[in-house]
Parts: sequence; structure tokens; C-alpha cells
Amino acid sequence: MRITMTCAALALALGSAPAFAQSGEITIWSWNIAASSLKATIAGFNKQFPDVKVTVQDLGNQPTYDKSIAGCAAGGVGLPDIVSIENGEAENYWSQFPDCFVDLHTLGYTAQDQAKFPDFKRTELEVGDKAYAMPWDSGPVAAFYRRDFYEKAGVDPASIKTWDDFIAAGKKIQAANPGVSMTNADFNGDSEFFRMISNEQGCAYFAADGQSITVNQPKCVDAMTKVKEMKDAGIVSSADWGTKITNNTAGTVATQIYGGWYEGTIRTESAGESGKWGVYLMPSLTADGPRAANLGGSSLAITSASKNKEAAYAYLKYTLGTNEGQITMLKEFGLVPSLVSALNDPYVSQGLPYWGGQAVWKDILGTLPKVVPSRGTQFQSDAEIIVRAVQTKYLAGGYADAKAALDDAANQIAAATGLPVKS
Amino acid sequence: MRNRNATAYRFLTPYLLIFAVFWVWPIISSFLISFQATRTVPWRFAPAFNWGRLIGDPAFFNALKNTLLILVIQVPVMIALAMVMAVLLNSPLLKARGLYRFAFFAPVVVGEVAYSAVFRLMFNLNFGIINKLLNSVGLPSIDWFSNVTPAMALIMIAVTWRWAGYNAIILLAGMQSIPEDVYEAATLDRVSKLKQFFFITLPLLKPVIVFCLVLSIIGTMQLFTEPFLITERGGPGGGTETLGLLLYRQGFRSLNFGYASAVAYTMAGLAIAITLVQLWLTREKQ
Repeated sequence: MRITMTCAALALALGSAPAFAQSGEITIWSWNIAASSLKATIAGFNKQFPDVKVTVQDLGNQPTYDKSIAGCAAGGVGLPDIVSIENGEAENYWSQFPDCFVDLHTLGYTAQDQAKFPDFKRTELEVGDKAYAMPWDSGPVAAFYRRDFYEKAGVDPASIKTWDDFIAAGKKIQAANPGVSMTNADFNGDSEFFRMISNEQGCAYFAADGQSITVNQPKCVDAMTKVKEMKDAGIVSSADWGTKITNNTAGTVATQIYGGWYEGTIRTESAGESGKWGVYLMPSLTADGPRAANLGGSSLAITSASKNKEAAYAYLKYTLGTNEGQITMLKEFGLVPSLVSALNDPYVSQGLPYWGGQAVWKDILGTLPKVVPSRGTQFQSDAEIIVRAVQTKYLAGGYADAKAALDDAANQIAAATGLPVKS
Repeated sequence: MRNRNATAYRFLTPYLLIFAVFWVWPIISSFLISFQATRTVPWRFAPAFNWGRLIGDPAFFNALKNTLLILVIQVPVMIALAMVMAVLLNSPLLKARGLYRFAFFAPVVVGEVAYSAVFRLMFNLNFGIINKLLNSVGLPSIDWFSNVTPAMALIMIAVTWRWAGYNAIILLAGMQSIPEDVYEAATLDRVSKLKQFFFITLPLLKPVIVFCLVLSIIGTMQLFTEPFLITERGGPGGGTETLGLLLYRQGFRSLNFGYASAVAYTMAGLAIAITLVQLWLTREKQ
């Protein structure tokens, strides 16, 4: 009896131990520069929590999902303490494995903490009164361009306001710089241009409430039409993630259009091209149309299998919930903070040497308030694969027009998910 | 007698347990899951949910079409190629025979991930050696990964590269077991070498060819690694998605285990059907 009492007292004492007494090891699964940026915050974290050993494993994007799903399906076996999840994929996890991740409220995540992040980053991470993950970075879209290629063709990036301007500029730039493509798209395994332009125009695969399919709405049709016009104009050459990086370094591409997190990829992977790159806003469909969109952006969740949940939460709170942690990741690898207060950090308005002295973050982050939320829903990966198939067929001339293509996509998504197509 | 049986079964117990837990149970379990709607927790019993979807699902028919396309084109081409290689290897004129045999067999030994990575590099649009070679003879570059037909061709080329030599070695072993005196008699009767091949080698080699065909068909039905790694998960847009990939994607990307199970059972049914047809076609005539 006495032993039990002692144990209970001990457990109580441990449970309520103050944060600075955290110790032990935590492991995190992540990918590419996102993993690198997490590694960059460990030093700062360890100043406050010297006894917590943080290990970040860079598994690559798909393998992180594959292993996380296998782990959740196996009831938590083999999972690390923290996993990275892109917002668009997040709802699938919560709905299929509600017990795989910890409700952060139980670890001290208060409504006040939640309010430090924008709503569009939180919708997918919070179900009912549970918060399954903490927002990490977002992906305000920007055009990253090679100043020298544009100059040689006499193209002023400030004059590119619409996608039609972009196509015209692309033809000029390709003529003036033999062997250079205006831009790259991953026609093998992605639909990034369609998603970016759709989001810019306020259209998404699903309605904001997640209850109907909107992929064939007029603005999405316009976006898909424009993707084909760009491809048919010959200004887009295909390249996957790795080949895009190779092209950046080899000087065979003039523009990359991606989420803001790509800043770090260009800067760290193509370090030798310092000073040659610049940034401008993504073009729109009309001269006065919106020029802001979001692509990607992730969150971090703590697994129920974690043996060190308090230490894991302490790490999240430092890395994602403080300006210091978020600015470290922005500085080192260009991860765009979700934490609103971090956007006022002096670093954001600095001119950066790699970008020829341009204060790129001011430009990129300035678009954030204009981003229209685009909800992934739990059916995102189903819908995405259907859209890719339809896009491939449409670009190869398999449909009369984009409307017919996206009607087909909408019907296929309806068959796969049981949701109605919005009329 | 009964005692002896009991002892034998006691020795077999460890294996039988593992067999029951890791083979029998999953087979039954996935059959049951295929009748459940698994899109949301809790799962509910709804037979039409998955099986009904299967009948009208374009993604399923796309994967089926791709798998059968590879079966119909790649397997015969590979077996024919293997036959040519085997004949050449069997030629008495050949020097350094051991070296060639090793060279033809070597692709099987190379790890799948490694060879997939090398193929991705070789067929890269801008930097790959294949497009450089095409350009050097005046042909335009081919965007192997972004168009359906070249991507499919690429998968077939890769699978053929990996398995043709393996089949050639099996065929070669078969050829060497054909008695030499049959050919001698034919030569004495002034039968040309070509006719000898078609009227002696091929008929006598039939069981070995059937064996190679069966192996290749099973392999193609299960094809996963190449479209997964080389064309990036069945890209472009499902253009090289096979049944195995569809199953994987539904089960482990969309977390739709019910539908994945239905696809798995369809695949198994298909494999059984094809095997039965094959056995019937190649049965020994009385």
C-alpha cells in the first residue's frame, strides 16, 4: 500500500514538473529543407532545454507519409514523437486515425496560443474542440526569376501582370537565351500550376465547408485553360522537384513559381548563383486580378505513441510558437512563418544579398492577408490523383475544353468520395 | 498412428501459427473489409460501397488497362528477345561465354531502387544520356516522364532490361538439355539451321517457354517497383499506374482500406483466371 502511495505521489510530482525540467530524447520525421530548418532550431531550443536531445530524420516527403500511415495503422508502433503533416493532407489523418495523435490542449495549448496563428492555417488542424497539430509554415506563392535572363531579353518583371504577359515574356526570354525554359512544371507527378492559379482566383477542389465538389467551377476552368495555353506556347518544360533544382543550378530555367518556402531551396541548393535571382508577384488572369495564392505549408503533430509528450510539446512551443524559432527557420531555409507576430520581425524587411539586395520577404509576405483559404478535406489525395490524370489527358488534347475536362474530374471525385458536385 | 500424427503437428505448430496469423487471417480480414465503407470512422457494413465503385471506377479500368497492356506487349517482346539471346549464347562460335552469361544475368542482381534511379537519370528530359543520343542522330528529345505513351514505353524498356537476361539463362539451360543427336540427324538430312530452330528447338523447348511465360505474367500482374520509382508513382497522371499501385494508393495514401481490399481480391481473381486459361491452352494433347 505504501509503495503504491509513493508511486502515485511520484507520478503526480513528475506530471506537474515545471517545463525547464524536461529531459529525454525526441525524434521528428520530416523532409527536405523543412527537416533542415527543424535541425537549425535545435541549438536555440537546447539553450532552454539542455536535457532534451532532439533528432530530426529527413525521410523525404512521400516516405514520411507512408511511414506515418503504416505506424498509425499499426496502433502507433514505430512512430517518432513528432511527425510533419502538410495541411492539405491533414484531415485524412484525423478522420481515419483519431487516436494516433495527441490533442494538444492536454499538453497546455491554450486558446490564447491558438489565436497567435491565422485562421486559414488552423481550420484543417482542429476538429471540434480538439487541436491535433500546431501550424508551422505557409506557402504564399511568388515568382522566383533569373535577373540576367530577363535583362538579356529586355523584359521588366514589373510589367508582367497577367499570365498572358508571362507567356509573351517567356517567348522573348527563350528567344534571347537559347537553351533556357521560361518556367518548369511537374507534369509527371503534380498539378501545382493548376492549384496555384485556382487558389489565386478563389476556386478549390472542394467548397469551404468540405461538403461539395467545386473543381469544375468557372474560375477553376479558367485556371486549367491557362495551364494548357502556357504549355502549348512552349514556355513550360517539365521537371520534377529534383530536376527543377538541377535546372536552377545549371541555368536552364528563367522562372520558378512556387510557395514562399522555395526561397530557401533556391538559396541553399543553388548557392553559387547568388545575386542572380529576384522575386516578383505571381501573375493574375486579368490586369487588376488578385495576385496571391497559397501552395503547401505544413504543421507538426505529436503522436500518442510518444513517450516524451511534454518534451515534444516544449519543442513545438519553442520552434513554432516563438518568433525566435520561426525566424531561425525563415533565415536559414526560407520557411514562411505561420506565427503572425513573426511577420513583424526586423529580418523580414531586410534586403537580402542572395536576392541582389531585394527585401524579398516583404514582397512575399505582403500577399499573405490576400490569400483565400483553400480547404484540403480528407479526400484531398483522392481528388488530387484524379485531377492529375485529367490534367494529363487534357494537356494531351483528350478533352474538347477545360470545362469538359473538369466536369469529368468532378464526376470522378464524386464517385470516389460520395460528395455532390456543386451546380 | 494417431500419436505419430500428434507429434508431427506439434513440430509444425510454430509454422502453422505464423501461417494462420500472417496469411490466413489477413486473407479473411481483407475479404471482410472489402464489404465495409471505410472512408470514415467507424467503419460500417455496405457491400455496394466498394464493389459498386469498382465496376464504374475509371481509375480501376485505367490501372487494369495499363497492366494488361504491359502483359500483352512487354512479355512477348521480352521472351522473344530472351530467345535470341539464348540462341546466341548457345552458339559454339561464341568466345568468353561465361562472361556474356554473367553480363546478361547481371541486371537481376542490381537492386531495384538503384536501377530505377539510374533509369530516371538516363531518361531525364534535359540532362539524360538517352535524349542526348537521340539529339546526336538528329531526333528530337522525348519528354519521357510527362507523356503517357513514352512513360509506358519507358516502363516496358526498364522491365525488359531487367528480366530478359534472366529468361535467356533459363531458356539456355533448356536448349542445352536437347540431345545433340537430334540436330546431327537433321543436319545429315540437310535441314537448314533456321528450320532446325523452328522445328526442333522451339517444340522441344515448349515446357521451358511456358515456364518463363508463367513467371513473367505473374511478375507483370504484381508490377509495382518500376512505375512506383521510375515514373514517380504511376505518373504522369496515372498513365503508368498498375493494379498494384492503385491498391497501394487507395490503401495507404487515401486510407481507403475497404476499396483497396476490393481491388486486391479482383487482382487475385484475375490472376487465377489468367492462369487457368494458360493451363488450358498449354495442356498436353493426348
